[in-house]
Amino acid sequence: MILNQNSQIPIYMQIAEWLENEILADRLVADGKVYSQYQLAEMFNINPATAGKGLSILLENDILYKKRGLGMFVVEGAKSKILATRRTHTLTQLVEEIVQEARRLAVSDEELIDLIKKVQQKG
Amino acid sequence: MIRCEQLKKKFRRSTVLSNISFQIDEPKIIALIGRNGTGKSTLLRLIAGHLKPTAGKIEVLGHNPFNHLQVAANTIFIEEHLTFPSPFTLADILKQGATFYENWQQELAEKLLAYANISLRSYHEQLSTGQRATFNLVYGLATRCTITLLDEPMNGMDEAIRADFYRAILKEYIAYPRLIIISSHYLSEMEHLIEDILCIHKGVIELHAQLDEVQTFAVKLRGDKEQIAPFIERIEVLHEYDEAPFYEVVVPAANVDIEALQTKDVFVLNVSASEVCKYITSEAKEGIDHVFK
Repeated sequence: MILNQNSQIPIYMQIAEWLENEILADRLVADGKVYSQYQLAEMFNINPATAGKGLSILLENDILYKKRGLGMFVVEGAKSKILATRRTHTLTQLVEEIVQEARRLAVSDEELIDLIKKVQQKG
Repeated sequence: MIRCEQLKKKFRRSTVLSNISFQIDEPKIIALIGRNGTGKSTLLRLIAGHLKPTAGKIEVLGHNPFNHLQVAANTIFIEEHLTFPSPFTLADILKQGATFYENWQQELAEKLLAYANISLRSYHEQLSTGQRATFNLVYGLATRCTITLLDEPMNGMDEAIRADFYRAILKEYIAYPRLIIISSHYLSEMEHLIEDILCIHKGVIELHAQLDEVQTFAVKLRGDKEQIAPFIERIEVLHEYDEAPFYEVVVPAANVDIEALQTKDVFVLNVSASEVCKYITSEAKEGIDHVFK
């Protein structure tokens, strides 16, 4: 994964998101050790402080926990927690954007729903 | 590690730095940003102890750096005009570095130079501009000095080697954390690398903040001028581009109602740290187009 330096999303958020994706893909598992901020800095070619911020976000959201002197680990049940937040938060946000754009383009509600169904069928 | 209080530097009758105050307490990678001729190099020379302040206070590693041996042994100042004794080959220069700097990394220096295809048998003054810059930067990294000052270290290097050596700086920093201050015109190239930004304008520190604070400091609004106008009344405008049919305005993010704007036909865009620095160090709000009117 290459970071998008020009994205609206700050780099440290992209790091947090990437770690969450690793958890969702079961590449990082419950009670497994997570990359250190220095490893992340090397991997993504970013300042260690930026990588550290990405980790702190997950720490605050109880996705990761800290063992003194040993590093950070994945919380039991982190995966379902991430899925729940993404469903309620991320998906809602995306839908909001779609609805807004549809209004701007004068697409009716029925047309929009049809469009979503069409895309789903393409699958 | 570094503390400046109301630091002032005058050369004859021209004041380069009028009132510089800031403090750095821990190893970090910091970008020193400012327009041409705003005193970036002067500030770095003061920190390195090569210059004596006209007034004010400067403390580096707890000492007044001017002509201070201990500060000199723990500080390296890399600049374009760095000179070494001319009969020396690069190998000789490295050998000398090893005797002066306690943490000298001979193997690293040799490997990096080999990577950049620079022969140890060549002479410093015979190197091309880009090669000289590369050698100087390698020398600076190999010292592993507690305070590493890099003044425009990438000048003259081609794009590929710049990318390589930004990564070299990062890897060296991770391996051996130290305070690295990089002055550069290429902020956008190294935003990923740095933690803090120190921005000089008109002889004072205009901005000293963490990178992500700078990155989220401002927004660019693009769209219909009439629609945008009510949102930016009584707000400081950092930059305005008004060439019909285009209208763009850059304002501090904290002062505008972004959510309300997004419901209008207004694009709310990110402003990168280098753009923020460009706007706050700009004399004219109108930009170059205004000159041609």
